[in-house]
Amino acid sequence: MAENKKVLVIGGGFSGLTAAVETAEAGSEVIIIEKTPFFGGRVTQLNKYFPKLCPPNCGLEINFKRIKNSGDVAFYTLAEVEKISGQEGNFDVTVKVKPRYVNDKCVGCNACAEACPVEMPNEFNFGLDKTKAAYITHNQAFPFMYAIDDRYCKGKACGKCAEACKYDAIDLDMKPETLTLKVGSIILAAGWDLYDVSKLDNLGGGKIRNVVTNMQMERLASPNGPTGGKILRPSDGKEAKNIAFVQCAGSRDENHLPYCSFICCMASLKQATYLREQYEDSTARIFYIDIRTPGRYEQFYWKVKDDPNVTLTKGKVARITEDAATGDVIVEAEDILAGRKIRQAFDMVVLAAGMVPSTKNSKIPADIKYTDDGFVMPATLQKGIYAVGTLKSPVDVAKSVQEATGVAIKSIQSVRR
Amino acid sequence: MAEQIVKPDLNFINEVINAGGESLKKCYQCSTCTVVCNVTPDESPFPRKEMVQAQWGLKDRLFGNPDIWLCHQCSDCTAYCPRGAKPGEVLGAIRKLSIEEFSVPGFLAKMVNSPKFLLVLLAVPTLLYILIIASQGFFGSVDIPTEDGKIVYGKFLFSLYYVDTIFTAAALFAVFSLFLGVTKYWKAMDAANPNTKTGSVGSAVSATIVDILGHNRFRKCEVTKGRATAHMLVFYSFIGLFITTILAFARVIPEYIHHLKISEGIDVHQLDWLAYIYKPIGNISAAALMVGILLVMSNRFKNQEKAGLGSYYDWLFISLVAGVGLTGLLAQFLRMANTVAAYPTYVAHLCLVFFLFAYAPYSKMAHMVYRTTALVYARLSGRDQGNA
Repeated sequence: MAENKKVLVIGGGFSGLTAAVETAEAGSEVIIIEKTPFFGGRVTQLNKYFPKLCPPNCGLEINFKRIKNSGDVAFYTLAEVEKISGQEGNFDVTVKVKPRYVNDKCVGCNACAEACPVEMPNEFNFGLDKTKAAYITHNQAFPFMYAIDDRYCKGKACGKCAEACKYDAIDLDMKPETLTLKVGSIILAAGWDLYDVSKLDNLGGGKIRNVVTNMQMERLASPNGPTGGKILRPSDGKEAKNIAFVQCAGSRDENHLPYCSFICCMASLKQATYLREQYEDSTARIFYIDIRTPGRYEQFYWKVKDDPNVTLTKGKVARITEDAATGDVIVEAEDILAGRKIRQAFDMVVLAAGMVPSTKNSKIPADIKYTDDGFVMPATLQKGIYAVGTLKSPVDVAKSVQEATGVAIKSIQSVRR
Repeated sequence: MAEQIVKPDLNFINEVINAGGESLKKCYQCSTCTVVCNVTPDESPFPRKEMVQAQWGLKDRLFGNPDIWLCHQCSDCTAYCPRGAKPGEVLGAIRKLSIEEFSVPGFLAKMVNSPKFLLVLLAVPTLLYILIIASQGFFGSVDIPTEDGKIVYGKFLFSLYYVDTIFTAAALFAVFSLFLGVTKYWKAMDAANPNTKTGSVGSAVSATIVDILGHNRFRKCEVTKGRATAHMLVFYSFIGLFITTILAFARVIPEYIHHLKISEGIDVHQLDWLAYIYKPIGNISAAALMVGILLVMSNRFKNQEKAGLGSYYDWLFISLVAGVGLTGLLAQFLRMANTVAAYPTYVAHLCLVFFLFAYAPYSKMAHMVYRTTALVYARLSGRDQGNA
């Protein structure tokens, strides 16, 4: 029998949350840790997500509620694993918890943010706007507690937030803590990062103002995003009504990500519908190598394709330049089916950037083998450790949830052996 | 829609793969290559279509196409190719095969393209000169004549018989063979692209020459930027050395006239002043040739990762040019130093020059003629315009 029956979930995105609630509701004690100050992961940053195209809150909110109500789930934010040792049934895990500088007396009144004099790039919005160093990502964040980013905060020397807080919720003296967790099994759900498009030197990523990533496009279309859901281009706030989508921006490219990122085709088709629903006279042109619509998603592709204002062009975009006078973006590709090189100006360009497993750049401190691309090799994991979702290969939310549910049963079996 | 039947030529696919296009099948037709290429036309751009044609073994379409020569192997395509399919190298291999296809006699092209035959090909001029030297008795009792104790190559192998005749014959052979080859190429292009030519051949030729003199297309390369300069040095030094050869030949015309007894009592030294013109030109050109070819080599090593090192075919040509330059300069210095080593160096120089010119229709040297022909054809069929 396992000495320790607790299950540790590393990563508080959709996969980790699902694994945690499923495991807890089956009667096992769960600890879930999240690196950032808020749960929900990448899905929180989306405007709508497949398969039902509902906003992130539908799905996330119920999971947050299940966590709060279960009583069997302990959760930590700003927490990162420092060391994993031991074996199935008896793991010792060292976790470092960074200070939030806000305690649970916080009611989310926003007074600290109003008082805070320091602005920083809003990472939740992928740098599209700025936020204060005392901040909350959006109005449905979980936990609904502000956080203070000490990379930017001037600490007690400033202290304006503490003065403004009526609830005594700010503690600028908070120190990092180290937890030692004893668990029986571990679920790895560390998720993914977007490929760094500034490496795509021919596509103007990070250089041309009106070239955005697909995740930035989600934020632009999202009601809790930097533009309140209006699709406006970054350079001048003009309505972006004529948008090019550049597929495989980094993916299926041995100079960048040699694999297909699985979700980008569907994301661009979906984002074309954001645009078409928002502006009646809008046009979208999607440049692709192959449109990949796994499983039943093909029906969605048919629907988008039927829209006369959406053009699908076979041919990878390999050069993007800026018209400095207008801020328009000039896209170059070969229309392969016509056998002709085209140059076309757009209000804005969306790079369908690929998925990079978070373990590409920050490895989990345990004896884990990775592929060259940083994905966990599941077959080589030691007993009692399981990986889910985008840590193994690029997948969508639905597949992540299925895997997380499957892994919940495996972890339960593991601690009951 | 008219039915099109594609007949893949499997042997040809393998030929391309073996000729240096081993990455051919990696291509998945995304067309990054045509977009990053600065020298391709907008309509039916290359090299994507060449990649699919090669994958299907459509030899006639590839060979009957000026596009393979519009490519200057900048390797921008290869550097950005997401699959490592190296379109630049595949097109290089196709160009090599097209020379093999059109050149006459074809077996010589196969020999030049294969390292197996290198020694055989080298043996031809070497044996020829060994025979000549032996026939003069220089291996035996006869002393090599000198002029006041100084080495004069003209006394060693008197130019009329042993240098000029051999090289004139070799050059004529090369020119004739090249002429037959490009005629076949022109016909193949006509067959593949009926009724596409407009405008005068004369103006297309002159515009093409202006383009080549300025290396205008070559300068559009990005990834391998330095190549145009290196090529230009080699190109202009060849022109300089050509002028040198013509003037040096002109200088000995009075000697011919005297020797062939066309006119008795002619002053055989009357054109000796030409040496004051061609010697500086020759030396400057030779120096430029060495600098140029060393740059060519260093560019290849520098761009190895992004553009590939090149094939035997490329390096045979590069080594020959370097060898001709090196032995030429050495022969001059050793002669001036009056050492016996001058003689073998001179003979080695002659052998390499022979190799370069006699086999020109089959080696990479032929690119000069095929590329120019293709550029003229492209201009006539409107494929060389409109990409600023």
